[in-house]
Amino acid sequence: MTDRLAKWIFWAGTLTSLAVFLAMTVQTHRSFGALTHADALDDHVVAGKRAFERHNCNDCHTILGFGAYYAPDLTRAYARVGEDAVRRRLEAPEVAFAASYRKMPQQHLRPQEIDDLVAFLRWVSNIENHDWPPQDSPNRWKASTDRLLASASMSPPAALVQQEGCLACHSLGGTGGTLAPRFEWIGGRRDAEFVARYLADPQAISPGSRMPAFGNLSEGQRLMIGEFLVSLAADRRAP
Amino acid sequence: MTTTVVYRSQRIAYAYFALALVLFALQIVVGLWVALQYVVTVPQHVVDVFPFSTARAIHTNLLVLWLLLGFMGATFYLVPEEAERELAWPRLAVVQLVALAATGVTAIVGFLFGWIQGRPLLEIPTALDFVVVAAALLFLANVGVTLWRARRWNAVQGTLVGGLVFLALMYLFGMPFYRNLAMDWYYWWWVIHLWVEGAWELVTAAMVAFMMIKLTGVDRRIVERWLYVELGLFLFTGLAGTGHHYYWLGAPRAWLWIGGAFSALEPLPILLMLWDTWRATKDGDGTLRPRLTWLYVGAMAVLHFVGAGLFGFAHTLPQINYYTHGSQVTTSHGHLSFFGAYVLLNLAFFYFAIPRLKGLPGARYDARLGYWGFWMTTLGVVGMSLAFAVAGVLQTYLERVRGEPYMVAQQPMRFWMLVVFLHGLVVLAGVVTIVTHLLTLKPERAGAVVPLPATPPAPAARTA
Repeated sequence: MTDRLAKWIFWAGTLTSLAVFLAMTVQTHRSFGALTHADALDDHVVAGKRAFERHNCNDCHTILGFGAYYAPDLTRAYARVGEDAVRRRLEAPEVAFAASYRKMPQQHLRPQEIDDLVAFLRWVSNIENHDWPPQDSPNRWKASTDRLLASASMSPPAALVQQEGCLACHSLGGTGGTLAPRFEWIGGRRDAEFVARYLADPQAISPGSRMPAFGNLSEGQRLMIGEFLVSLAADRRAP
Repeated sequence: MTTTVVYRSQRIAYAYFALALVLFALQIVVGLWVALQYVVTVPQHVVDVFPFSTARAIHTNLLVLWLLLGFMGATFYLVPEEAERELAWPRLAVVQLVALAATGVTAIVGFLFGWIQGRPLLEIPTALDFVVVAAALLFLANVGVTLWRARRWNAVQGTLVGGLVFLALMYLFGMPFYRNLAMDWYYWWWVIHLWVEGAWELVTAAMVAFMMIKLTGVDRRIVERWLYVELGLFLFTGLAGTGHHYYWLGAPRAWLWIGGAFSALEPLPILLMLWDTWRATKDGDGTLRPRLTWLYVGAMAVLHFVGAGLFGFAHTLPQINYYTHGSQVTTSHGHLSFFGAYVLLNLAFFYFAIPRLKGLPGARYDARLGYWGFWMTTLGVVGMSLAFAVAGVLQTYLERVRGEPYMVAQQPMRFWMLVVFLHGLVVLAGVVTIVTHLLTLKPERAGAVVPLPATPPAPAARTA
């Protein structure tokens, strides 16, 4: 190898890669508007981002997969647990995680900051990022729940869920509200007895929860709903 | 082979090295606390006052600060010798060190009281960013003026200065507030990725080339020729390879192809560097002593390739990264690559430079304690990275593939985080040993393993 060739390799390699990188940077800037729904990026969301940085949330949680790995990813947190659950975690983490072996600090957020953070997380949850993260992918939820729903629409617990209007706040597969956690997510974390106790008196387990008590249902009906929820996650659980 | 320092102003490097070493030990202490929080339940009232996030910010910022201090110290050592004249403003180098040390202390105390910018690795508040920029400008001016006055240009200097300017420029992209989170992360990686897979690789290549020339007496022209090829490959794969961070942040799909293709080639330049190091040790004048210094150079070449090259390649393709992104797999790669590439580089340079700065005869030193430090630290970090990798694979499978909720997947990982913590204890013991050894380096004992006449000093002509 001659000195000339070595220098040529250096400049050719560097400049080629730099050209690709800069061209892609221009292209990325052009696409960000549509992919991140920049039209919905108002001052409220920006204030939320500032609060997110001020309280150093990102050094425990990942967002878009970046940050620390000590706490759940926040990219789709808004869609996963719903607005009410997000608020309760921000207002009173010491209550929300009282039973957890990992705690979240009580940072005494002002009500305005909580509103801003919720707006920020709502905006982030709509970023189109090639369906990442896999565990929160709506496509995967749909695939696993559509099969169940086909038969569940006939089942007694599914009828109860319809009748009690659970889907006004919770979501299941592709439908439902975003105020409360997804059914599949609850089913993955809790057992049927827990769900039954929660239905009887949500305040006893999550003080401040906006979920109404379902004392009108019988013990057996509440347990049935619990088993239905757990069954939603069943095909992903260890036998 | 030169065995003493030639210029007085080179001695400033020692102050940089000493501070870097103390911060290194502190980084490991904080790191142990970070790891422990994955294993035990920290009570709410402790979490409220000193959360995981604060400890992690301190752990990572100490790392960046001490590595940069090491690079700067190495630069102050290397530049006068390459330029064959004293540093332009030696006192300014002291002012710069004080400014950086004060910034570091202020930042860490600030973190404890919530004065933080909250962007991972770039947590220091904007006001302190300006102090860092000022210190960086002093540094570049000092080095630049020295080299300009000397008017002796060579590839080692060029690479070093190029890397340092590149490093300083990229820092600027991390300073503004970005309204859009996706754009924020896009430019965050201009700092982080283009540092560790761009600018820092240039600095590394220059420092290694300098040590090779000084330690082995191999022909400078051959070293410099391969330096061009390595750098060409590093920048070819590294610049567009930034794309492997852009898969899932809301950027166009084309990044999956470009990021995947370019970054899949990233192990190549590191492999070339490994081969280059091996060749230089064979072609040199055969005096591979002191052996501990060479152990560091060799371990750096190997673990740089394993940690950055292989562990990086393992999860750089988008098909795999879709499942591993943002899991402990990244932590495993992060720890082994930073250690293999930049920690061992700095330690190798310290072991090369400190005996000369202290004027030990023949630049030899009593290495016994140093071996203990090396093996405890290296085996500790390798074991730790493997434990992180097991935890990461568990997380990837349970949370991402099976779709278990986050905390359900974390439960079986706790044991492996305990393994991480235990290896961390070994690393701490090793690092304390290394720091103690380097700061109290003693001359080689009389009648040590190899008597000096067995390896006659290289002819002076070789250094010219």
